[in-house]
Amino acid sequence: MRIEIKDLHFTYPSGVQALRGISLTIESGEQVAIIGQNGAGKTTLARHLNGLLQPTSGEVRIGYWDTRRYSTAKLAARVGYVFQNPDEQLFSRDVHMEVAFGPKNLGYPKERVEALVSEALEMTDLLQKRETNPYDLSPTWRKMVAIASVIAMDTPIVIFDEPTTGQDAATIERIANVIRVLRERGKTILTITHDMDFCAENFERVIVMSQGQVLLDGKANDVLGQEEILATTYVEPPQLTRLGKRLGFKETVRNEEEFLTALQKRWRI
Amino acid sequence: MSLNRSFFVPIDSPLHRLNPLTKLTFVFAMIISAFLSVPDMAPALAVLVLLTGFIGKVQRQYRTVLLKLILPAILFMFVMQSVFLPGGETILIQVGRFDVARENVRAAFLTVSRVFVMVSSFAILLLTTHPSKLMADLTRRGLPPQLAYVIISTLQILPQMQAKAQTILSAQRSRGLDTESTFLKRVRAIVPLVGPLVFGSLVEVEERAIAIEARGFTSPRAKTFLYEVPDTRADRLIRWTLVIFTLLSLAARIWLS
Repeated sequence: MRIEIKDLHFTYPSGVQALRGISLTIESGEQVAIIGQNGAGKTTLARHLNGLLQPTSGEVRIGYWDTRRYSTAKLAARVGYVFQNPDEQLFSRDVHMEVAFGPKNLGYPKERVEALVSEALEMTDLLQKRETNPYDLSPTWRKMVAIASVIAMDTPIVIFDEPTTGQDAATIERIANVIRVLRERGKTILTITHDMDFCAENFERVIVMSQGQVLLDGKANDVLGQEEILATTYVEPPQLTRLGKRLGFKETVRNEEEFLTALQKRWRI
Repeated sequence: MSLNRSFFVPIDSPLHRLNPLTKLTFVFAMIISAFLSVPDMAPALAVLVLLTGFIGKVQRQYRTVLLKLILPAILFMFVMQSVFLPGGETILIQVGRFDVARENVRAAFLTVSRVFVMVSSFAILLLTTHPSKLMADLTRRGLPPQLAYVIISTLQILPQMQAKAQTILSAQRSRGLDTESTFLKRVRAIVPLVGPLVFGSLVEVEERAIAIEARGFTSPRAKTFLYEVPDTRADRLIRWTLVIFTLLSLAARIWLS
């Protein structure tokens, strides 16, 4: 499902201008990472996509739905939003009920809810823990429950707000895997992140925000190569990218594979 | 995105400059006099409290508190008491099967004045006093820090819970929770909203306890204070005046009735 944002401005009641004229189109099935310094407007932008915030001016369309005309509960059928802090949404007695809450709200038939829940639990490695009370799980696993509870809604668009913050390598890998599976199913994915390695390894398109505007938008390699511009919004390219630059590689590299290929190319010369 | 986490309005005014204890004395002097002195005192004090708000230059914020919080409550009380208090001889009007007696309207007016004095004077204290300064001053005067903590966290907890509730509401609406249509759906929406709020608040309390303990909260040594809270001669004068006023108003009650 296509996301279309036209000249979006947003000012908080306190007078803070969080978004100043954002225009973007995200095509169906794209995987996009949004990066930028704290307070750049990333979360504010994401919250416009499911109607939690309404534009001060400009418009947001989710597959022809103008977000001003639909409630968040309605938009939830199109946009799944994984919040940063899982504790702000978990309330059920056990993991299974928690994950089933979203799809039930969307009014799916019982068999479909069950199928979606099982699938989501499998994707997040939670099958063994389906009877557990979410609050008996560690914060890491609670995060996975929150992710599962949104994937189970089977929305064409999924937003992750800083999914990897404070997580260990195993969990990050698990989250990356979830994103991979969603990509294969043709979902549109938006991820807000400060984790540059995670961004470089999992996303094809990167949008850089600064002071409520889009600073850079393009293919991950093109964007991550622009060290000076990124520095203005306090973003540092991944280590390998910077190392590649220092070694004088012509192309921008962002993961081990690309780095090794570029290195071999140089040795052969 | 700075949320105002307490009632305090950070400006400068004569009331802001007063020592917190002086303002606290004012609050209690007003409340004690309004409730325990001769009944006719309460409306007079209500006017006095109302005017005090202007010295504090917090009229705008005070008006908000007044309109949104105090007025609806006391109007409701006034109507209920006027209509439903038993007894009363001089009937003014009849509301359905109930008689509204002059005596009851008078009693309702007095009760409402007392409640107004109580809530309003507290509102003025909170609007013009930074909670930390209030507690620093009271602790310096010998209030146990544990008690100060209980009071200060109570003052802060409502705005904090409000912010938290807002986030939870957003998270659950993003999961398709309908909080806007029929009454039944709204009632059903309570559990997913209250659950994380209560649990989250409990966790927060525990974390905060650990955090302040890690900074030596219960250390038995004498502590220094971050804030120098000035206590002027004018402050002492006002306080003693208020104390004498309170005593006189109590005496009036004993001798005049």
